[in-house]
Amino acid sequence: MRPEDISYKVNKLERGTVLDHLRAGTALRALRVMRLPPGATVTVGVNLHSARLGKKDIIKIEGYELTQEEAAKVALISPDATLSIIRAYEIVGKHDLVPPLRFKGLIRCQNPACIVHDERVPGSFQVESSDPVMVRCEYCERSIALDEFTFTDPQGRVGA
Amino acid sequence: MTGRDFVNRDVITVGDFRRDEMLFLLDAAGRFEQVNAPLLAGRVVATLFFEPSTRTRLSFESAVGRLGGRCIGFAEAGISSQSKGETLADTVRVVEGYSDLLLLRHPREGAARLAAEYARAPVVNCGDGAHQHPTQTFVDLYTIRRECGRLDELNVVFAGDLRYGRAVHSLVSVLAQFNARIQLVSPTFLRLPLEQMRMLEDLNVPFREGTSLEEALPDADVIYMTRIQRERFTDPYEFEKVKDAYRLDLAMLKSARPGVAILHPLPRVTEISTDVDSHPHAAYFRQAHYGVAVRKALLALLLGCADEVPG
Repeated sequence: MRPEDISYKVNKLERGTVLDHLRAGTALRALRVMRLPPGATVTVGVNLHSARLGKKDIIKIEGYELTQEEAAKVALISPDATLSIIRAYEIVGKHDLVPPLRFKGLIRCQNPACIVHDERVPGSFQVESSDPVMVRCEYCERSIALDEFTFTDPQGRVGA
Repeated sequence: MTGRDFVNRDVITVGDFRRDEMLFLLDAAGRFEQVNAPLLAGRVVATLFFEPSTRTRLSFESAVGRLGGRCIGFAEAGISSQSKGETLADTVRVVEGYSDLLLLRHPREGAARLAAEYARAPVVNCGDGAHQHPTQTFVDLYTIRRECGRLDELNVVFAGDLRYGRAVHSLVSVLAQFNARIQLVSPTFLRLPLEQMRMLEDLNVPFREGTSLEEALPDADVIYMTRIQRERFTDPYEFEKVKDAYRLDLAMLKSARPGVAILHPLPRVTEISTDVDSHPHAAYFRQAHYGVAVRKALLALLLGCADEVPG
Protein backbone atom coordinates (compact mmCIF):
# COMPACT_ATOMS: atom_id res chain seq x y z
CA MET A 1 0.00 0.00 0.00
CA ARG A 2 1.33 3.42 -0.90
CA PRO A 3 1.53 6.02 1.91
CA GLU A 4 -0.99 8.28 0.19
CA ASP A 5 -3.54 5.46 0.19
CA ILE A 6 -3.55 5.24 3.96
CA SER A 7 -6.52 7.01 5.53
CA TYR A 8 -6.65 8.19 9.10
CA LYS A 9 -9.84 7.78 11.05
CA VAL A 10 -10.30 10.66 13.44
CA ASN A 11 -13.66 11.93 14.57
CA LYS A 12 -14.67 15.36 13.29
CA LEU A 13 -14.32 18.08 15.88
CA GLU A 14 -17.48 19.79 17.06
CA ARG A 15 -15.44 22.68 18.45
CA GLY A 16 -11.73 23.17 18.83
CA THR A 17 -8.44 23.63 17.01
CA VAL A 18 -6.67 21.76 14.24
CA LEU A 19 -2.98 22.36 13.65
CA ASP A 20 -2.02 20.90 10.30
CA HIS A 21 1.20 20.77 8.29
CA LEU A 22 3.34 20.75 11.40
CA ARG A 23 6.88 19.73 10.61
CA ALA A 24 7.27 15.99 11.11
CA GLY A 25 8.35 15.26 14.65
CA THR A 26 7.37 18.63 16.17
CA ALA A 27 3.83 17.86 17.41
CA LEU A 28 4.73 16.84 20.95
CA ARG A 29 6.96 19.89 21.33
CA ALA A 30 4.16 22.12 20.04
CA LEU A 31 1.80 20.65 22.65
CA ARG A 32 4.18 21.73 25.39
CA VAL A 33 3.78 25.44 24.57
CA MET A 34 -0.02 25.23 24.92
CA ARG A 35 -1.92 25.65 28.14
CA LEU A 36 -4.60 23.08 27.49
CA PRO A 37 -7.43 22.67 30.00
CA PRO A 38 -7.11 19.56 32.17
CA GLY A 39 -8.82 16.61 30.54
CA ALA A 40 -8.75 18.11 27.04
CA THR A 41 -9.15 15.49 24.32
CA VAL A 42 -6.17 15.70 21.98
CA THR A 43 -5.45 13.64 18.91
CA VAL A 44 -1.87 13.69 17.64
CA GLY A 45 -0.70 12.33 14.31
CA VAL A 46 3.04 11.97 13.82
CA ASN A 47 4.88 11.38 10.55
CA LEU A 48 1.73 11.25 8.44
CA HIS A 49 1.98 11.36 4.67
CA SER A 50 1.72 14.83 3.18
CA ALA A 51 1.65 15.67 -0.52
CA ARG A 52 3.17 19.08 0.29
CA LEU A 53 5.73 18.23 2.94
CA GLY A 54 6.39 14.52 2.42
CA LYS A 55 5.70 13.88 6.09
CA LYS A 56 3.87 16.01 8.59
CA ASP A 57 2.35 16.04 12.06
CA ILE A 58 -1.22 17.01 12.96
CA ILE A 59 -2.78 18.04 16.28
CA LYS A 60 -6.54 18.13 16.91
CA ILE A 61 -7.76 19.63 20.17
CA GLU A 62 -11.36 19.11 21.20
CA GLY A 63 -13.13 22.00 22.94
CA TYR A 64 -10.20 24.44 23.07
CA GLU A 65 -9.29 27.29 20.76
CA LEU A 66 -5.60 28.13 20.71
CA THR A 67 -4.73 31.64 21.91
CA GLN A 68 -2.76 34.02 19.68
CA GLU A 69 0.21 33.72 22.03
CA GLU A 70 0.17 29.93 21.83
CA ALA A 71 -0.22 29.99 18.06
CA ALA A 72 2.70 32.40 17.76
CA LYS A 73 4.92 30.07 19.76
CA VAL A 74 3.92 27.12 17.59
CA ALA A 75 5.00 29.23 14.60
CA LEU A 76 8.51 29.29 16.05
CA ILE A 77 8.55 25.52 16.32
CA SER A 78 6.92 24.79 12.98
CA PRO A 79 6.74 27.88 10.75
CA ASP A 80 4.81 26.17 7.91
CA ALA A 81 1.93 24.96 10.08
CA THR A 82 -1.67 26.07 9.49
CA LEU A 83 -4.27 26.67 12.16
CA SER A 84 -8.01 25.99 11.80
CA ILE A 85 -10.62 26.98 14.36
CA ILE A 86 -13.70 24.73 14.36
CA ARG A 87 -17.13 25.68 15.64
CA ALA A 88 -20.27 23.57 15.14
CA TYR A 89 -18.25 21.16 12.97
CA GLU A 90 -17.40 23.98 10.54
CA ILE A 91 -14.06 25.69 9.95
CA VAL A 92 -14.65 29.30 10.96
CA GLY A 93 -11.09 30.49 10.61
CA LYS A 94 -8.04 29.11 8.83
CA HIS A 95 -4.74 30.91 8.74
CA ASP A 96 -0.98 30.59 8.63
CA LEU A 97 0.87 31.00 11.88
CA VAL A 98 2.80 34.19 12.56
CA PRO A 99 5.71 34.16 15.03
CA PRO A 100 5.70 36.70 17.87
CA LEU A 101 7.87 39.83 17.68
CA ARG A 102 9.33 39.03 21.10
CA PHE A 103 9.03 36.13 23.50
CA LYS A 104 10.41 34.84 26.77
CA GLY A 105 11.47 31.30 27.62
CA LEU A 106 10.71 28.44 25.21
CA ILE A 107 14.31 28.14 24.04
CA ARG A 108 17.76 28.53 25.53
CA CYS A 109 20.35 30.98 24.22
CA GLN A 110 22.94 29.01 22.28
CA ASN A 111 25.79 31.28 23.33
CA PRO A 112 27.57 29.54 26.23
CA ALA A 113 28.98 32.92 27.34
CA CYS A 114 25.52 34.52 27.68
CA ILE A 115 24.58 35.81 31.14
CA VAL A 116 21.25 33.94 31.20
CA HIS A 117 23.05 30.68 31.96
CA ASP A 118 24.25 32.07 35.31
CA GLU A 119 21.08 33.83 36.39
CA ARG A 120 17.66 32.47 37.29
CA VAL A 121 15.91 34.25 34.44
CA PRO A 122 14.19 32.95 31.31
CA GLY A 123 15.73 33.73 27.96
CA SER A 124 14.35 36.78 26.20
CA PHE A 125 14.30 36.91 22.41
CA GLN A 126 13.41 39.12 19.47
CA VAL A 127 12.32 37.49 16.24
CA GLU A 128 14.56 38.83 13.46
CA SER A 129 13.01 36.89 10.63
CA SER A 130 10.12 34.47 10.29
CA ASP A 131 11.17 32.79 7.05
CA PRO A 132 13.60 31.29 7.80
CA VAL A 133 13.02 31.58 11.54
CA MET A 134 15.88 33.53 13.12
CA VAL A 135 15.77 34.98 16.62
CA ARG A 136 18.15 37.18 18.59
CA CYS A 137 18.91 36.92 22.30
CA GLU A 138 18.02 40.25 23.90
CA TYR A 139 20.90 39.94 26.36
CA CYS A 140 23.96 38.89 24.34
CA GLU A 141 22.44 39.79 20.92
CA ARG A 142 23.59 36.54 19.28
CA SER A 143 21.36 35.26 16.49
CA ILE A 144 19.95 31.73 16.62
CA ALA A 145 18.42 29.84 13.69
CA LEU A 146 15.47 27.45 14.06
CA ASP A 147 17.60 24.35 13.52
CA GLU A 148 19.85 25.45 16.41
CA PHE A 149 16.98 25.84 18.92
CA THR A 150 17.32 24.02 22.21
CA PHE A 151 13.85 23.97 23.72
CA THR A 152 13.21 24.33 27.43
CA ASP A 153 10.26 23.46 29.62
CA PRO A 154 8.34 26.22 31.50
CA GLN A 155 10.89 25.96 34.34
CA GLY A 156 13.70 26.70 31.88
CA ARG A 157 15.09 23.16 31.90
CA VAL A 158 16.69 21.94 28.71
CA GLY A 159 15.40 18.85 26.93
CA ALA A 160 11.70 19.66 26.85
CA MET B 1 18.15 67.48 21.40
CA THR B 2 19.32 68.59 24.84
CA GLY B 3 21.35 67.13 27.65
CA ARG B 4 18.12 66.15 29.36
CA ASP B 5 17.66 63.36 26.79
CA PHE B 6 20.55 61.55 28.52
CA VAL B 7 19.34 61.82 32.11
CA ASN B 8 18.96 58.44 33.83
CA ARG B 9 19.58 56.47 30.63
CA ASP B 10 21.30 53.12 30.63
CA VAL B 11 24.35 52.80 28.39
CA ILE B 12 24.34 49.15 27.34
CA THR B 13 25.22 49.03 23.65
CA VAL B 14 26.14 51.64 21.09
CA GLY B 15 22.99 50.60 19.23
CA ASP B 16 21.00 52.38 21.95
CA PHE B 17 22.36 55.72 20.70
CA ARG B 18 21.54 57.61 17.53
CA ARG B 19 24.18 59.41 15.53
CA ASP B 20 23.03 62.85 16.73
CA GLU B 21 23.13 61.67 20.34
CA MET B 22 26.70 60.42 19.95
CA LEU B 23 27.75 63.71 18.35
CA PHE B 24 26.09 65.57 21.22
CA LEU B 25 28.13 63.51 23.68
CA LEU B 26 31.37 64.14 21.75
CA ASP B 27 30.68 67.89 21.73
CA ALA B 28 30.09 67.77 25.48
CA ALA B 29 33.34 65.81 25.93
CA GLY B 30 35.18 68.57 24.09
CA ARG B 31 33.98 71.06 26.71
CA PHE B 32 34.84 68.64 29.53
CA GLU B 33 38.48 68.33 28.47
CA GLN B 34 39.21 71.48 30.42
CA VAL B 35 36.43 71.36 33.03
CA ASN B 36 37.00 69.92 36.50
CA ALA B 37 34.07 71.50 38.35
CA PRO B 38 32.48 69.72 41.35
CA LEU B 39 29.37 68.81 39.38
CA LEU B 40 29.09 65.39 41.04
CA ALA B 41 29.61 66.63 44.60
CA GLY B 42 27.59 64.42 46.94
CA ARG B 43 27.05 61.78 44.23
CA VAL B 44 28.22 58.19 44.60
CA VAL B 45 29.10 56.00 41.63
CA ALA B 46 29.40 52.22 42.11
CA THR B 47 32.08 50.34 40.18
CA LEU B 48 31.04 46.70 39.90
CA PHE B 49 34.02 45.15 38.13
CA PHE B 50 33.65 41.38 38.03
CA GLU B 51 36.58 41.21 35.66
CA PRO B 52 39.95 42.98 35.84
CA SER B 53 40.24 46.37 34.16
CA THR B 54 42.80 49.11 34.41
CA ARG B 55 42.08 51.83 31.88
CA THR B 56 38.32 51.76 31.95
CA ARG B 57 38.04 51.60 35.73
CA LEU B 58 40.75 54.14 36.42
CA SER B 59 39.53 56.59 33.80
CA PHE B 60 36.00 56.38 35.22
CA GLU B 61 37.33 56.80 38.75
CA SER B 62 39.41 59.73 37.56
CA ALA B 63 36.35 61.24 35.84
CA VAL B 64 34.22 60.88 38.98
CA GLY B 65 37.00 62.28 41.17
CA ARG B 66 37.67 65.27 38.90
CA LEU B 67 33.97 66.14 39.03
CA GLY B 68 33.90 65.94 42.83
CA GLY B 69 32.00 62.64 43.16
CA ARG B 70 32.93 59.47 45.00
CA CYS B 71 33.36 55.85 43.85
CA ILE B 72 32.54 52.71 45.81
CA GLY B 73 32.84 49.15 44.59
CA PHE B 74 35.15 46.28 43.83
CA ALA B 75 37.66 45.47 41.13
CA GLU B 76 37.41 41.69 40.87
CA ALA B 77 34.73 39.05 41.27
CA GLY B 78 36.53 37.32 44.14
CA ILE B 79 35.66 40.09 46.58
CA SER B 80 32.04 40.47 45.49
CA SER B 81 29.09 38.48 46.81
CA GLN B 82 29.07 36.60 43.52
CA SER B 83 31.77 34.41 45.07
CA LYS B 84 29.13 33.45 47.67
CA GLY B 85 26.66 32.50 44.97
CA GLU B 86 24.72 35.75 44.69
CA THR B 87 23.15 36.45 41.32
CA LEU B 88 24.02 39.59 39.39
CA ALA B 89 20.35 40.63 39.56
CA ASP B 90 20.51 40.61 43.38
CA THR B 91 23.88 42.39 43.48
CA VAL B 92 22.66 45.34 41.40
CA ARG B 93 19.43 45.63 43.42
CA VAL B 94 21.49 45.91 46.59
CA VAL B 95 24.19 48.23 45.29
CA GLU B 96 21.82 50.68 43.61
CA GLY B 97 20.63 51.54 47.11
CA TYR B 98 24.17 52.71 47.91
CA SER B 99 24.80 54.74 44.77
CA ASP B 100 23.43 57.00 42.03
CA LEU B 101 24.85 55.15 39.03
CA LEU B 102 26.30 51.69 38.38
CA LEU B 103 29.38 51.00 36.27
CA LEU B 104 29.46 47.31 35.39
CA ARG B 105 32.13 45.12 33.89
CA HIS B 106 31.32 41.42 33.69
CA PRO B 107 32.75 38.43 31.82
CA ARG B 108 29.31 37.26 30.66
CA GLU B 109 27.76 38.63 27.46
CA GLY B 110 24.51 40.49 28.05
CA ALA B 111 25.26 41.07 31.76
CA ALA B 112 24.76 44.83 31.48
CA ARG B 113 21.35 44.46 29.82
CA LEU B 114 20.26 42.11 32.56
CA ALA B 115 21.57 44.44 35.28
CA ALA B 116 19.67 47.35 33.75
CA GLU B 117 16.43 45.38 33.93
CA TYR B 118 16.79 45.11 37.69
CA ALA B 119 18.30 48.50 38.58
CA ARG B 120 16.39 51.77 38.62
CA ALA B 121 19.67 53.72 38.69
CA PRO B 122 21.41 54.11 35.33
CA VAL B 123 23.72 51.24 34.37
CA VAL B 124 26.79 51.85 32.20
CA ASN B 125 28.25 48.82 30.46
CA CYS B 126 32.02 48.88 30.93
CA GLY B 127 32.48 45.67 28.93
CA ASP B 128 30.39 42.48 29.01
CA GLY B 129 32.47 39.57 27.75
CA ALA B 130 33.08 39.72 24.02
CA HIS B 131 29.81 41.60 23.51
CA GLN B 132 30.06 45.40 23.84
CA HIS B 133 32.03 48.19 25.43
CA PRO B 134 30.13 51.33 24.45
CA THR B 135 32.14 53.91 26.38
CA GLN B 136 35.31 52.66 24.68
CA THR B 137 33.54 53.31 21.38
CA PHE B 138 32.63 56.84 22.41
CA VAL B 139 36.30 57.39 23.32
CA ASP B 140 37.39 55.91 19.99
CA LEU B 141 35.00 58.18 18.08
CA TYR B 142 36.20 61.20 20.03
CA THR B 143 39.82 60.30 19.28
CA ILE B 144 39.17 59.78 15.58
CA ARG B 145 37.42 63.13 15.33
CA ARG B 146 40.21 64.87 17.25
CA GLU B 147 42.95 63.23 15.14
CA CYS B 148 41.30 63.27 11.69
CA GLY B 149 39.13 66.36 12.07
CA ARG B 150 36.01 64.46 10.97
CA LEU B 151 34.11 61.22 11.38
CA ASP B 152 32.47 60.85 7.99
CA GLU B 153 33.74 58.84 5.02
CA LEU B 154 36.93 57.52 6.55
CA ASN B 155 38.86 54.41 5.53
CA VAL B 156 39.26 52.44 8.73
CA VAL B 157 41.47 49.37 9.04
CA PHE B 158 40.78 46.99 11.93
CA ALA B 159 43.59 44.53 12.60
CA GLY B 160 44.12 41.70 15.08
CA ASP B 161 41.44 39.93 17.08
CA LEU B 162 38.18 40.87 15.40
CA ARG B 163 36.35 37.86 16.78
CA TYR B 164 36.57 38.47 20.52
CA GLY B 165 37.47 42.18 20.47
CA ARG B 166 34.36 43.87 21.84
CA ALA B 167 35.81 47.34 21.19
CA VAL B 168 35.95 46.38 17.51
CA HIS B 169 32.37 45.06 17.48
CA SER B 170 31.02 48.28 18.96
CA LEU B 171 33.08 50.62 16.80
CA VAL B 172 32.36 48.78 13.55
CA SER B 173 28.61 49.04 14.13
CA VAL B 174 28.86 52.77 14.86
CA LEU B 175 31.13 53.61 11.92
CA ALA B 176 28.37 52.26 9.70
CA GLN B 177 26.45 55.42 10.61
CA PHE B 178 29.31 57.61 9.42
CA ASN B 179 29.69 56.24 5.87
CA ALA B 180 33.00 54.58 6.67
CA ARG B 181 34.80 52.15 4.40
CA ILE B 182 36.10 49.29 6.47
CA GLN B 183 38.98 46.85 6.01
CA LEU B 184 39.12 43.84 8.28
CA VAL B 185 42.53 42.24 8.79
CA SER B 186 42.72 39.15 10.98
CA PRO B 187 43.82 35.52 11.08
CA THR B 188 41.02 33.31 9.74
CA PHE B 189 40.30 32.01 13.24
CA LEU B 190 39.73 35.54 14.52
CA ARG B 191 37.47 36.92 11.78
CA LEU B 192 34.67 39.33 12.63
CA PRO B 193 31.59 37.37 13.80
CA LEU B 194 28.95 36.57 11.19
CA GLU B 195 26.34 38.77 12.88
CA GLN B 196 28.61 41.77 12.43
CA MET B 197 29.30 40.93 8.78
CA ARG B 198 25.59 40.59 8.18
CA MET B 199 24.99 43.94 9.83
CA LEU B 200 27.56 45.61 7.55
CA GLU B 201 25.93 44.03 4.51
CA ASP B 202 22.44 45.09 5.64
CA LEU B 203 23.63 48.68 6.08
CA ASN B 204 25.46 48.66 2.72
CA VAL B 205 28.77 49.49 4.38
CA PRO B 206 31.61 48.77 1.97
CA PHE B 207 34.05 46.40 3.64
CA ARG B 208 36.89 44.09 2.64
CA GLU B 209 38.42 41.20 4.48
CA GLY B 210 42.02 40.07 4.33
CA THR B 211 44.91 38.66 6.28
CA SER B 212 47.67 41.09 5.21
CA LEU B 213 48.11 44.28 7.21
CA GLU B 214 50.66 45.60 4.68
CA GLU B 215 48.10 45.47 1.87
CA ALA B 216 45.53 47.36 3.90
CA LEU B 217 47.77 50.23 5.06
CA PRO B 218 48.08 52.51 1.98
CA ASP B 219 44.37 53.42 1.89
CA ALA B 220 43.88 53.87 5.62
CA ASP B 221 42.81 57.08 7.36
CA VAL B 222 42.64 55.20 10.66
CA ILE B 223 44.45 52.04 11.75
CA TYR B 224 42.75 50.40 14.72
CA MET B 225 45.08 47.75 16.16
CA THR B 226 43.91 45.24 18.75
CA ARG B 227 45.59 42.80 21.07
CA ILE B 228 45.10 39.07 20.56
CA GLN B 229 43.44 38.36 23.92
CA ARG B 230 44.85 35.30 25.63
CA GLU B 231 41.97 35.31 28.16
CA ARG B 232 39.37 34.71 25.42
CA PHE B 233 40.96 31.44 24.26
CA THR B 234 40.02 28.12 25.81
CA ASP B 235 42.66 26.31 23.76
CA PRO B 236 46.24 27.58 24.44
CA TYR B 237 47.43 25.95 21.19
CA GLU B 238 45.04 28.13 19.16
CA PHE B 239 46.36 31.19 20.98
CA GLU B 240 49.99 30.28 20.27
CA LYS B 241 49.22 29.94 16.57
CA VAL B 242 47.89 33.50 16.22
CA LYS B 243 49.36 35.55 19.07
CA ASP B 244 52.04 37.23 16.93
CA ALA B 245 50.03 37.47 13.74
CA TYR B 246 50.46 41.23 13.37
CA ARG B 247 53.11 43.73 14.38
CA LEU B 248 52.85 47.30 13.15
CA ASP B 249 56.21 49.07 13.03
CA LEU B 250 57.49 52.42 11.83
CA ALA B 251 58.92 51.01 8.58
CA MET B 252 55.52 49.64 7.58
CA LEU B 253 53.95 53.05 8.11
CA LYS B 254 56.04 54.48 5.24
CA SER B 255 53.44 53.09 2.86
CA ALA B 256 50.59 54.73 4.81
CA ARG B 257 49.11 58.20 4.31
CA PRO B 258 51.02 60.89 6.22
CA GLY B 259 48.05 61.79 8.44
CA VAL B 260 46.97 58.26 9.28
CA ALA B 261 45.74 58.00 12.88
CA ILE B 262 46.90 54.94 14.83
CA LEU B 263 44.55 53.81 17.57
CA HIS B 264 44.58 50.93 20.04
CA PRO B 265 42.21 50.36 22.97
CA LEU B 266 45.25 49.22 25.03
CA PRO B 267 46.87 47.35 26.64
CA ARG B 268 49.20 46.50 23.77
CA VAL B 269 51.58 43.59 23.84
CA THR B 270 53.58 43.14 20.64
CA GLU B 271 51.09 44.25 17.98
CA ILE B 272 52.46 47.81 17.86
CA SER B 273 56.24 48.16 17.98
CA THR B 274 57.45 50.78 20.46
CA ASP B 275 59.17 52.62 17.59
CA VAL B 276 55.69 53.66 16.43
CA ASP B 277 55.23 55.64 19.66
CA SER B 278 57.27 58.49 18.15
CA HIS B 279 54.98 58.72 15.10
CA PRO B 280 53.13 62.07 15.26
CA HIS B 281 49.81 60.31 14.72
CA ALA B 282 50.33 57.45 17.15
CA ALA B 283 47.20 58.38 19.08
CA TYR B 284 46.77 55.49 21.50
CA PHE B 285 48.02 57.21 24.63
CA ARG B 286 46.05 60.35 23.83
CA GLN B 287 43.09 58.04 23.19
CA ALA B 288 43.40 56.68 26.73
CA HIS B 289 43.58 60.21 28.13
CA TYR B 290 40.56 61.42 26.14
CA GLY B 291 38.69 58.66 27.95
CA VAL B 292 38.50 60.82 31.05
CA ALA B 293 36.90 63.76 29.22
CA VAL B 294 34.39 61.52 27.45
CA ARG B 295 33.48 59.73 30.68
CA LYS B 296 33.18 62.99 32.58
CA ALA B 297 30.74 64.23 29.95
CA LEU B 298 28.78 60.97 29.98
CA LEU B 299 28.50 60.83 33.78
CA ALA B 300 27.42 64.47 33.98
CA LEU B 301 24.81 63.94 31.27
CA LEU B 302 23.40 60.74 32.82
CA LEU B 303 23.22 62.34 36.25
CA GLY B 304 21.65 65.52 34.88
CA CYS B 305 24.34 68.02 35.75
CA ALA B 306 26.00 68.68 32.38
CA ASP B 307 24.02 71.90 31.86
CA GLU B 308 26.16 73.53 34.52
CA VAL B 309 29.24 73.29 32.30
CA PRO B 310 30.07 76.55 30.51
CA GLY B 311 29.52 75.96 26.79
